[in-house]
Order: sequence, then C-alpha cells, then structure tokens
Amino acid sequence: MDIRLLHPSDIPHVQHANITNLPENYFMKYYLYHALSWPQLSYVAVDVSRPKKTPYDYPRIVGYVLAKMEEDPPDGVQHGHITSLSVMRTHRRLGIAEKLMRQSQRAMVETFGAQYVSLHVRVSNNAALRLYRDTLGFKNEKIEAKYYADGEDAYSMKLDLGFVREQILDEQEEAEADEGEPVGSLGSKDDVNGEGKEKGDGKGKKRKVRVGRGLGVGDLVEKNESQKA
Amino acid sequence: MPQQLSAKEQSLFRTVVRNYEDKQYKKGVKAADQILKKNPKHGDTLAMKALIMNSQGKTEEAFALAKIALQCDMKSHVCWHVYGLLYRAVKNFEEAIKAYKFALRLEPESQQIQRDLALLQVQMRDYQGYLVSRRSMLTSRSGLRQSWTALAVAHHLNGELSEAEGVLTTYEETLKNPPSKTDFENSEAVMYKNSLIAEQGNYQKALDHLESAGKHNLDKLAVLELRATYLAKLGRTEEAIKAYRALVDRNSEYKTYYDGLIAAMGIAPTDHKAMKAVYDEYAEKYPRCDAARRLPLDFLEGDDFRDCADKYIHRMLDKGVPSTFANLKHLYSSSSKKGILPALVQQYIDSGKSEANEEPKRNGDTSKGASAAYYFLSQHYNYYLSRDLDKAMEFIEKAIELEPNSVDFHLTKARIWKHYGDTQKASEAMEQARTLDTRDRHINTKAAKYQLRNNETEAAVKTMGMFTRAETVGGPLADLHDMQCVWYLTEDGQSYVRQGKLGLALKRFTAIYNIFDVWQEDQFDFHSFSLRKGQIRAYIEMIRWEDHLREHPFFSRAALSAVEVYLKIHDKPLANGVNGTGETNGEDAAERKKAAKKARKEAQKAEREALEKKSEPNKATREGDNDPKKKDDDPDGAKLAATTEPMNDAMKFLTPLLQFSPKSIDAQVAGFEVFIRRKKHILALKCLLAAAALDREHSKVHSHIVRFKLALDKDLETLPPKVAEVINSEFNLLPASTPLTQYNDEYLSKHKDCARRTLSALSVRKLLSPESSPACEKDVLSILKFPTVTFEEAKEALELLSSWRSSQLESFRSGAAEKWPKATIFAAST
Ligand SMILES: CC(C)(COP(=O)(O)OP(=O)(O)OC[C@H]1O[C@@H](n2cnc3c(N)ncnc32)[C@H](O)[C@@H]1OP(=O)(O)O)[C@@H](O)C(=O)NCCC(=O)NCCS
Repeated sequence: MDIRLLHPSDIPHVQHANITNLPENYFMKYYLYHALSWPQLSYVAVDVSRPKKTPYDYPRIVGYVLAKMEEDPPDGVQHGHITSLSVMRTHRRLGIAEKLMRQSQRAMVETFGAQYVSLHVRVSNNAALRLYRDTLGFKNEKIEAKYYADGEDAYSMKLDLGFVREQILDEQEEAEADEGEPVGSLGSKDDVNGEGKEKGDGKGKKRKVRVGRGLGVGDLVEKNESQKA
Repeated sequence: MPQQLSAKEQSLFRTVVRNYEDKQYKKGVKAADQILKKNPKHGDTLAMKALIMNSQGKTEEAFALAKIALQCDMKSHVCWHVYGLLYRAVKNFEEAIKAYKFALRLEPESQQIQRDLALLQVQMRDYQGYLVSRRSMLTSRSGLRQSWTALAVAHHLNGELSEAEGVLTTYEETLKNPPSKTDFENSEAVMYKNSLIAEQGNYQKALDHLESAGKHNLDKLAVLELRATYLAKLGRTEEAIKAYRALVDRNSEYKTYYDGLIAAMGIAPTDHKAMKAVYDEYAEKYPRCDAARRLPLDFLEGDDFRDCADKYIHRMLDKGVPSTFANLKHLYSSSSKKGILPALVQQYIDSGKSEANEEPKRNGDTSKGASAAYYFLSQHYNYYLSRDLDKAMEFIEKAIELEPNSVDFHLTKARIWKHYGDTQKASEAMEQARTLDTRDRHINTKAAKYQLRNNETEAAVKTMGMFTRAETVGGPLADLHDMQCVWYLTEDGQSYVRQGKLGLALKRFTAIYNIFDVWQEDQFDFHSFSLRKGQIRAYIEMIRWEDHLREHPFFSRAALSAVEVYLKIHDKPLANGVNGTGETNGEDAAERKKAAKKARKEAQKAEREALEKKSEPNKATREGDNDPKKKDDDPDGAKLAATTEPMNDAMKFLTPLLQFSPKSIDAQVAGFEVFIRRKKHILALKCLLAAAALDREHSKVHSHIVRFKLALDKDLETLPPKVAEVINSEFNLLPASTPLTQYNDEYLSKHKDCARRTLSALSVRKLLSPESSPACEKDVLSILKFPTVTFEEAKEALELLSSWRSSQLESFRSGAAEKWPKATIFAAST
C-alpha cells in the first residue's frame, strides 16, 4: 500500500471510500476545495499491486485523510483540521491511518506553520479514539453535544504540533552538521527515526524529542503510558 | 439607442443592481418595475429584471425579457452581458461567450465582462481566447501578481512553456524587495516556475533554480521529490542516493522512493540480494514499516521468497492483521508463490505457535493466531486464481467457530456464497455480518450491495437509509443522489436491468451521467479561486484531469450499461419477431407509442403544476434561494424507456465512451452495436477496426466481422458510391476468398477449448445457416464439459439460449445446475 499525496484525479475513489466508510459525506467540489487550497495536506493509501483490468483503471484508494487549514481561526492561531479519515475494512490494522495522519501533520507544520491540529470524533468510535489518543497523542478538548446529524456527541480533540516543529529543526541541524560527511552513509545507528520520536512525543512529553535521541525506538514506542495517565 | 434616466431613476437603478447582488430578488423586481412604469423600454432595467427573474428560477421568462431588452437597446453592454449570463446559467457556454464578446466590444473597459469572458474561455478550453483576455486583463491590473500568474497559466495551457516562464520572470524582476519566506503566494509561484522549467526538459536549469530560489520553499516535500528526480536524471548519483534516502526517511511506505533509491544506487533489477539489503536496512530502522517487509516479496524467488514470506506472515498473523491476504494476493500471478503462501500458513497453524497467543483481542476486530490463519486460507480458496469454494467454506467455518462474532469472517462467508452463485445466501450472510457491527458503515455498504446483487432493491435502500442523512427530503435515495454515491446508483441500475425494469435502470445511469456533468462544471469556480489562493500546480493538475474526466471507469461502467439497455429496448421487437430482420413488431411498437404519449401527458401536467405553484404568491420560493429544486417529472424513468428512438438516445452515452475510452474494447463493441443498427456503416466499421486492433480474437470481434459483412452485402447497393469505396478499402478483416461459413468453422476449431469463443462461433453459424439452428443450440450444451468453463460463461450461454427461445434451455439449465449446484441462476424455477 503506497502512502502518497492526494491528487485531483484520485477524488472519485476518495469520495467512494468516504461514502463507503462514513456517514459524513461531501460533494466532489468539497474535495476539490481541499485539494486545491491545501494540496500538501491530504494523503491517500493506494493499492498499487492490483493488476489493471482496463487501460483506464484508476489507482484504487483504500484509505485517505482529507485535511485543511482552519481559515480565519477564531483563536488567531494557525492550525490544521482533519475533515475526514477512513480506511477500507479490507485494509485496516495495517497502520495506514496512522501513517496518513503523520504525513499530513508534518505538512501542516512545514507548509502552513500550524501550531496544532484539531478534529471531531464520535464518542462511540473506539477504533478511531484509540488511534487518535493512544497512537497519535491527541487530547480531548471538550464534548460537543449532538455534533453529528444523528444526534451523537463528538469529542473535539486537539494535538499540539510543537513536537513536529522540533523534529524538523532537529533534522535541519543534522543535515547541516552532515554536510561534508561521506554521502550515502545512513548516519549513526542511534539516529532515532521519525516514528519513534513522534510516538514518544505524541504523548505530550515535548522534551523527550531531544532526550529521546539517545534512546532506542523501543523505549519510545511504549504503548500504555497515556492510558495510565 | 442608449436611454437616459432621470436622476431619481438612476439611483433606483443602482438599487436594482445592489438588490441583485445582495440576492434580494423581490425588492429588486419591485424597484425595476418602478423604473419601467415611466420608461417601459429602458433596456438596462429590463435586462436587470431578467437577470433577477432568472435567479428566482424563472428561466424562460427571463430569456424572453432579456430578448425584449436587447430589442429596446441593441447598443447596451448591460443587455448583452445579461444575455450572456443567462446563457451561462443554462450552461450554453458557446452562446454565452458570443454575448460577452458583443458586450465587450461595446464596453471594452469593463473588467467585469472581461473577467466573465475569460473564465468561460478557460472552462471551454478556448486557450487562445483565454490568452487574449488575460493579456488585456494584465494591462489593466498589472500591479497584481495574480494577473501575471494568470497570464503565465494561459500560456502554459496554450502549450507555450517558455513564454509562461518568461512572464513569471518578468514579474519577479519588478519586485523591489525579495518576498518574505512565509509569503505563500511567492513560494508557490517559485515551484510553479520550476515545474515549467522541468516540463521543458531542462533539468540542469530546473535543479539550479530549485537549489537557489527553492531553497527555503514552504512545500518541502515537493522540493525533496523534485530534487531527487533531477539529480537522478542528471546522473549525479551520490547526491541522488542521498536525496532518495531523505525521502524514504520521510515516508517509508512509498514504493516510488525505494525504486528511485535502488536505481540511483545502480543496483541491477536482477540483483535481488542487493535490493533486499536496501529493504532490510529500512525494515530494521522502522519497526512499524510495512513496505520494506512486503516489497521484497515481489521480486524474491524460491527459498529466499519462502524465508521472507514466512517472516512476514508470522508477523501479520501474530498481530492478527485482517488484511494480510489482501496485501499478498497480487503475488498469486506467480504459480510458485501461489503454492508457497498457503503452505506457510498451514505450517503456522500446525506449529501450534498460533495458539500461544493468548492476549485477549480488542473490540472484536482483530483475530490473532489460528483464526487469522484460517481466515487467510479461506480467502486463499475463495480467490479466483486458487479457487476451491468448498475448502474456502470449510476454513471460514473453522475461523467462525473460534470467533463467532467477527464481522470480517462473516463478510468472507458472504463472498464465498457469492462465488457459488447463490445470491440469496450471499445476501443473507452479509446481512448477518452487518448485524454484528451496526455502527460500521463499511459493512452496511456491503450488505446493501449484496442485496442489490440479489435484486432486493427495496431492502437495499432501507439498509442504506441507516446511514444517510435523515433530514434529506426524498429519503435515502435522494440523499445518495445528492452525495453523488456513484457505486450505489450504478449497482441499483444494474439490478433493475436484471429485473427488466428498464426505465428505472436508465434513470439511474442517467443520474451518473448528470453527476459527471456536475463534476465537470465544478471546476468553474476554481479558475478564479485558485489564482486567489495561489495554488497553481494543483490547479493545472485539476485542469489536466478534468480534460479526460469521462474516461473514469465510474463513467464507462454506467454508460456501457445504459447503451446495453437502449439496445435491449431497440431489439425487443426482434426477440418476439419471427424473421429476425429487425422489423418492428406492430404490437410492441403500438405499446411503446402509447406509453410515450402517456409519459408526455404526465410531463406536461407536472410542468403545469410546477408553474402554478410558482405563481402562487404565498408559496413563492424563498428569497435568496436561487436554485429551487425542480420537481422530477419522470421519477421512474418511464419517459426514458418509452423512447421511440433508443439508438439516438444511446448516443448520449456512447459518444463520450468512444471519445474518452477508445482503448476499451467494450466501448468499441458497444459502438458497433449501435452504429450497425443505425446503418452508419463507416462508423460501425471504425469501431470494429478499433476493437480488432485491441484483440483480434475477441469473441465479439469475430461475430461483428461476420455481421458487418452480412450487413454490407445487404445494403451495399443503397450506399453512396463514396461510402462503399471507403468501406471496401478499409474492411480488411476477412480473407478475400474464404466463404463465411468456412471462416467461422476455422475460428471455432481454433478456439474449441474456449467456451466464450465457441458460443460466438455457434451464434454466427446459426446466423449464417438458420437450418443448422437445432444443432447449434445442442452444441451450446457442450461448453459445460469444457474443463475451463467459468460460471460467467455458462451464464452467458443461458442468456443466449433464452434469447433464441431455444428448446435446449431447460437441458442446459439442469446441466449447469449440476455443475454449479448452489447457483441461484441455474436453479429450477418452480
Ligand atoms: C479508525 C480507522 C481510520 C483506523 O484505520 P486503520 O488503518 O485500521 O488504523 P491503523 O492500522 O493505523 O491503527 C493505528 C492504531 O490505532 C489503534 N486502532 C486502530 N483500529 C483499532 C481497532 N479496531 N481497535 C482498537 N484499536 C485500534 C491501534 O492502536 C492501532 O495500532 P496497532 O495496530 O499497532 O495496535 C478505521 O478503523 C476506519 O476507517 N474506521 C471507519 C471510519 C472512521 O471511523 N473514521 C474515523 C472518523 S473520525
């Protein structure tokens, strides 16, 4: 499953995935609005191994995240918002949703200087809640009563993206320090990869980014922390 | 003649314009009427009133009034502009452009008219016109960056890349201070310029530009990706490797990056060991990465494959990833891999390791260890390349025994029933799966789909209704239309085809057609929006995609089905007819005429009612509601199906099919069927030649060749000599001296193992020598003995016999029922 940017030509299949998986649906134009306003923020997971049946087959989208920047944020703070996220049932638990979200979050910071990202989720949606809270480190902001058309409440959740900013800074420093090093070398082994850092940090321990450099990935992927907290 | 108003009326006129802009339509009309009382022939006021009425949904009255306005004042740009806007509103863009151009000639300085014209030109892909407009718009607003970018876009779309680049450069040179790093518009303009340089093939220049101007660009990913590509293209290996590594580090789930890295490293595609080493490195670096563990399975062979696959399978089954099979099934194109994978899963089960996993599962969603392994094997035997449905059922039952509440397991059970051909049981099983997780729309979607496949249309829409918005007027079906739910409308239509409800079927396919119209229209606002937002590359990408929007399989699937229905409607008399010459059967034609008349009457009534409603003062549409929903005067498609010109109507779907999907053999086949019925011999031949070029041995191509020849023999004398000449020189698919019967026999013996081609040859034989009919019909039975015959082919054979009203139908059915005992379609009808 490739994880890559969403292109306009993906939209019919993204719309298909959305209406297959979720009750909140949108016109094609709304997808275009996302893709043409913030083309860096929306990502798709694509089944590329599928043999083509006709010369006109479009890549099959098995998951997507549709994201935007809040226009004129009421609090004056630049931030991103997740409009929709879903993964086809046949492709769940492969880590797709998590990876889509991470790519989008990074671009929110890099391209649009987002400070945080927000989203809504049904209070009954356990799978999504675990993903947002435990895996990605979102925090509950508040409950919005009867947010959904059918009367269900929503958690309004938020993730501070400070850790992504720090990570980017770190990488820049590294890249500068790297200059002149033999090319092609991977850098040292304890070079913590993005996932680990984000994971540790997603739980709100900002300083761990730098501290975490010395740690192995495993230490940071410790899963149950925030549940206890 | 321009008409003067008094000062008071001039101010009233300004009120009219403002009312229109504020969508206060009633007030606007009132003010306009006030002016008109004294100046009944004031063109501009009449035009404005027309414009407002149009917004109120009174299109026809608006057009009539706008025409009067023009008669009163031919020289008013307002009148012409309004005339254009009305055409624009009914999507007659050509006429709108003409009217705007008149208006602009009268008022060359009007930016509003110029802008409206430009937007329509780009929407209509009149790039040369667009270029002229943009040039003139730039002169009047040269201080705005947007104006320059727009001109560059016009050049770009018009294929003038270096001019486009030049325009951007000229603007840059006018800048006194460098734009700030966070200036998004500038950041994007730089990347747009870079894409223009690269599109001209100048990678060195593109790289230099990227490294200087693009150094701190806000679109980091684009910079990284482009840099890697340029470096690779320029053969700067070391740097390219580094650049690709940076990309993999950023996103280790994108095959393109690994491919780029491996190519840059100079690893030969045959050097599997070296390739594997690259993936291993990242698998170790990123413990949660899937691609680095899975992709090597694509190229590894033999024991290397086995080892790698074993590790992968253990990892996935231990965790209980339900999508393991979905992730691997593409490997089945290799027969050795197809054998190894299930064997590994079996070993996994036998090793007992699977039982060791005791951790309680969460949420009923994951199934670890043994159940996951059974689930894998069940999918394996359900897959078309390794199908053994009894085994598939056996394994899914085992899995269900371990986890009776797994949605995924029951879903697979339903799919197995589907492959058995038992649409009823499949639908029931999917319904059961749905009840296990009523909050998941995906399983709800599947349940509805399986109901449609089983022709339970009513039940399906009810199922869908559990997730559609309750407040939509018109219920779930209206919501599915509103939300452009293409899959549902298509499946619903196809279900109606099977039920013989051709009107409803056409209704659904037409809905898809309309959705694509909307999708095309949707781009309109972005011609201006994207320039304001400054996101130019994404906009260009959208334009390119919209250019061939209707090649999308979502369109062709519905369009092909629609053509098929129109063919059915056309041929219906033929099915009852005795001689099969296509002469309309009197009774049926009369029926259809009657139905058409009835439909027409109903439509007129609906129209009248709608009009009455509108003129009722209290029930007038809300102010500001400028798109009053029109009542559907043909909800069941009765009017569509009552057509007396089905082949003409089919063209609506066929034309875009042939234009946008010429390489689809199904499209060409459909084209032939329509054109040969319309006696458009050259067009039929064109389709036939295109289809033959795609697949000379295709069963349809074969029968079409013969049918074309027969049609030609029959009609040749009546054809104009020029046409006959063209056909004779182009139609080269038949060997000159071979008689048709012999030609057909040769095809049959060449393909005697292929059921579908055999069926084709048999129907041709029957056509060529009607006296052989009984023998042909009997021969159809023989395909059931073909070792490779598929369920679909048997279904086609059944349909063929049924269309022949053959006495062999029953024997075939019972023969097929023996072979596919669970298939609904072959079950004895009681
Ligand atoms: C929610 C959803 C997007 C998750 O997609 P996914 O690709 O399967 O999620 P991932 O594989 O990336 O899961 C990442 C983590 O989230 C958690 N998670 C995901 N699905 C879970 C489930 N069904 N139960 C418990 N935890 C779950 C796990 O912690 C998982 O990590 P793990 O697999 O290592 O344990 C998917 O289930 C979905 O599309 N659901 C329907 C649509 C929906 O609800 N969207 C969210 C609307 S706000």
